[in-house]
This record gives sequence, C-alpha cells and structure tokens, in this order.
Amino acid sequence: MSLSLSLRALPRSSSACSHIASVQVCRRTYYSIHHPDPPPFPPVQATILASAIQHVPRLGFTQAAVTAGAQSTGYLEASTLLFPRGPFDLIRYHLVTERLALKDRVQFPADSKLGLTEKVKKLVVARLIANKDIIGHWQGALGHMSLLENIPASLAELGNLADEIWYLAGDKSVDFSWYTKRAQLSAVYASSETFMTTDQSPGFRDTEEFVERRLGDAKTVGGAAGGFTDYVGWWAGNGLGLARAWGMKV
Amino acid sequence: MSATVVSRGIVSRQAIARNGSTLSYVLRGAKPCRNHTRLASTQAAEDHTPGEPQTKPMTTLTEAQRRFLDSALRVNQAGELAATLIYTAQTPPVVKAHPHLQPLMKHMYDQEAGHFKTFNELLAKHRIRPTAMYPVWQAAATLLGWTTGMMGKEAAMACTEAVETEIGNHYNSQVRELFKWMTELKERGEELDPELAVLIEDVKRIRDEELEHLDHAVEHDAKQAQPYEPLTKVIQYGCKAAIWTSERV
Repeated sequence: MSLSLSLRALPRSSSACSHIASVQVCRRTYYSIHHPDPPPFPPVQATILASAIQHVPRLGFTQAAVTAGAQSTGYLEASTLLFPRGPFDLIRYHLVTERLALKDRVQFPADSKLGLTEKVKKLVVARLIANKDIIGHWQGALGHMSLLENIPASLAELGNLADEIWYLAGDKSVDFSWYTKRAQLSAVYASSETFMTTDQSPGFRDTEEFVERRLGDAKTVGGAAGGFTDYVGWWAGNGLGLARAWGMKV
Repeated sequence: MSATVVSRGIVSRQAIARNGSTLSYVLRGAKPCRNHTRLASTQAAEDHTPGEPQTKPMTTLTEAQRRFLDSALRVNQAGELAATLIYTAQTPPVVKAHPHLQPLMKHMYDQEAGHFKTFNELLAKHRIRPTAMYPVWQAAATLLGWTTGMMGKEAAMACTEAVETEIGNHYNSQVRELFKWMTELKERGEELDPELAVLIEDVKRIRDEELEHLDHAVEHDAKQAQPYEPLTKVIQYGCKAAIWTSERV
C-alpha cells in the first residue's frame, strides 16, 4: 500500500524542473520572502533519503544505504524503485540539503565588516566542512557525479551552490559579472572539494588555505575580465578622438 | 538588408503572440505542481516555536507566475540598460548641434537611469538572473544611440519614438497580466503580497514616463526624420526581437 502511494507521489512533469534522463534539474525562478520556495524533494522521497543519509558514514553512497533508509522508515524494500539512480539520488539529496542548510550555518550580522571575498570564503569552507562526516566516501561520490548521465544534474547543482553562496554573501551585481562570478566560484568549489578528499591535516586546515589561494586567483581573473571591458571602451573612445582629429564630424 | 530584418521581426512577433497565448493559457489553468507539496512551509512551521507569531504567506504564486515574473523583470532590466546607453550615446552629438535640447536629454536620461536602478534592485532582491545577452545589448544600444545621434536630431527623436512605442506596449502587457492576477485574487478574497503591489505601481509609473518620452520625441520633430518609415520599423522590430530573446536567455 505504501508503495503504491509512494509511486503515485513520484514527480511528474513540473514547470520549473526539467527531467534530464529521469533526474530532476530545478532552476531557480522568482524568489520572494512572501513565497517560500517549493521543497526540493517530494515528501516520501525526502523521508527515505533523510534516513538513508544517516547510513552513509557506515555504508557509503550505495544502494545498500538507500535500502537501509527505506527499511528504517518502514517502507518496503521495493520502494527504492523511487530512486532509479540509487546512489546518485542519495548524493544529490546530500548536495541539495547541505546547500539549503548553508543559510542557517553561516550568518553575517548586518554590520559585518567582512569583505565580499571573505564572506565567500567563509561560506565555501562551511559548505566543505559539511562533507567531513562522509569525506571517506566523497571520492566515490565524485565518481558517480562525473558519470555521463549524471553530469547535467551535477553541474546544475554546482551552479545552484555558487548562486546560493553569492546570494548569502550579499552580492548584488546583476550585470554580466553575474555569470563570470558563478562560473569562477563553481570552478574554485569543485577543485577545493576534490582537494579535500585527500586532505589529512587536522581540521582540514590545508583545504581552507587551498580555498583562500584559489579565491585569490579567481579575483585576479575577475579583475582581468573587467579590465577587458574598460580596454575596449578606451579604444572606442580613442578611435572617435582620432576620427575627429582627421576632420570627421563625429 | 532591412527586408531580412523586417521579416525576422514579423516571425518573432508571431512567436511573441503565440507564446503570449500559451503563457496566459498556462496561467489560467495553472495548478500548483504535484511534487511541490508544502514541505518548506512545514519545515518553517517546525522552526517556529508555537508561541511565536508566524507570518502567513498571503498568496501562493504558481510556478507559471514565478516564471512570468522571472522573465518579465529580466527583460525590463535589459530594456532599461539599453535605454540608458542609447541616451548616453545620443546626447553628445544631439546637444552639440542643438544646445537647447540639453535639459530634455538630461531629463530623459535621468528617468531611464532611475528605472534601471529600480530593476537592478529588483533582480538582486528576487534572485533573478540577468540576461546572458548583456554585453550584446550594451554594444547594440550604444551603436544605435550613436548612429541615430549622428544622423541628426530628427533621427534621434524617431529612435526614441520607435523604442518607447515598443516599450510602452511591453509594459502595458505586463501591467495587464499583473492586474489580472490581482483581480483573480480579489475574487478569491486573498490579497496580493506587498512586493507585487509595489511592483504594479512601479511598472505603471515607469510605463507612463516612457510614454512621456514618446510625446517629447514627437514634439521635437521625430516625424521629420529621413527616412522615417524604414528607420522606425527597423528599430521597432529590433526591439521586439531583443525582448523576445531576453525573455529566454
């Protein structure tokens, strides 16, 4: 009975979400404090996955963990059919819930003296630290994420994380740097996450330093992109000046 | 050349009309997503201790309405970006030839800059992605402003007339849509959330100011531009194509 119910609760076509090979990829639309965002997972899936994630430190991101989650919440073993991707659905649950938990984990007072880069660094490190309990299984998880059929959903989630971090850091830029900022932060986060899987230092201090260095590099690149726009503008202005000097009426 | 531009413009207009009708159809028949049950609100409720007063959402936007606002605000920002750049590029050549137009150009620019600021703030607040065509519109708008400015006062005013006609229509359709939401909610006895109420007023005010620019342009000999028809048509269809593109990317 619970199975048929759960199957009926399976996500159908939803307007904000596209199904890329059976995995939901949701893109954020209009956000407002008056309209809470819809939950990322349907209730049954959320219940099972929330329980399954407790088994990950022991069992890893595996089908066994999903099954254990279903069993300990009183669902039939067959209800794992709700998760056609098994381990990847569990990984995605981890990614989504940790991203959404970030706003409660790191909060900046309104009069915070921290600069934007400092805030971004704090947020990135906080998000990485959320992987610490399952860090032993994270390399395997990264392997699942890089499988061809999982790449679109993984990249979308990486982009969502970068968006969340810039938003929480209080970045208000809505020009083209919106895109470069998210792309750079995604790259920094992805490389730091990989670095962390081999980090043996106490409290992941090396990872933190790695993040700091990489953000410093990104800042330089970002400056270069802005510099390029100025450069083009400068030459356009010069071109006009030259044309005037030649007697053109411009 | 202009023929291809025009024909492309017609295609895009049909696409807008088609899209408009499907969108309104979606909005009329919109139901909350099946898989979007209110887990977030139950979580929020759990976070609240029972004694604490809990702010209740006045309305729930459907997914289609969210997407409408998402693309509408993105287009508006792109439009105001282009408008500020057109005036910035037009002002030096126009004012050089006709110094008495300086206050008018400044007045129109200042209003556009105000609109641009409004939509920038709205985009940041509602976490809406700016258009990916941002640099393209920057270049196109500057080029358009500079070219029409160089063609003379009349061409510059004809450009303003063509752009503001399109933009006026565009804002009008948004006001109509938002107004429809408001009446539907009133029928159900609900209230529009304060942000949306402000948004409707903002869009109305901005539309009126754009139409005021249109009147200024016509008063200042826009109709005398040579060649009037092709110039305004190309600009109008260009605007339509830009709106269509910015709604999507």
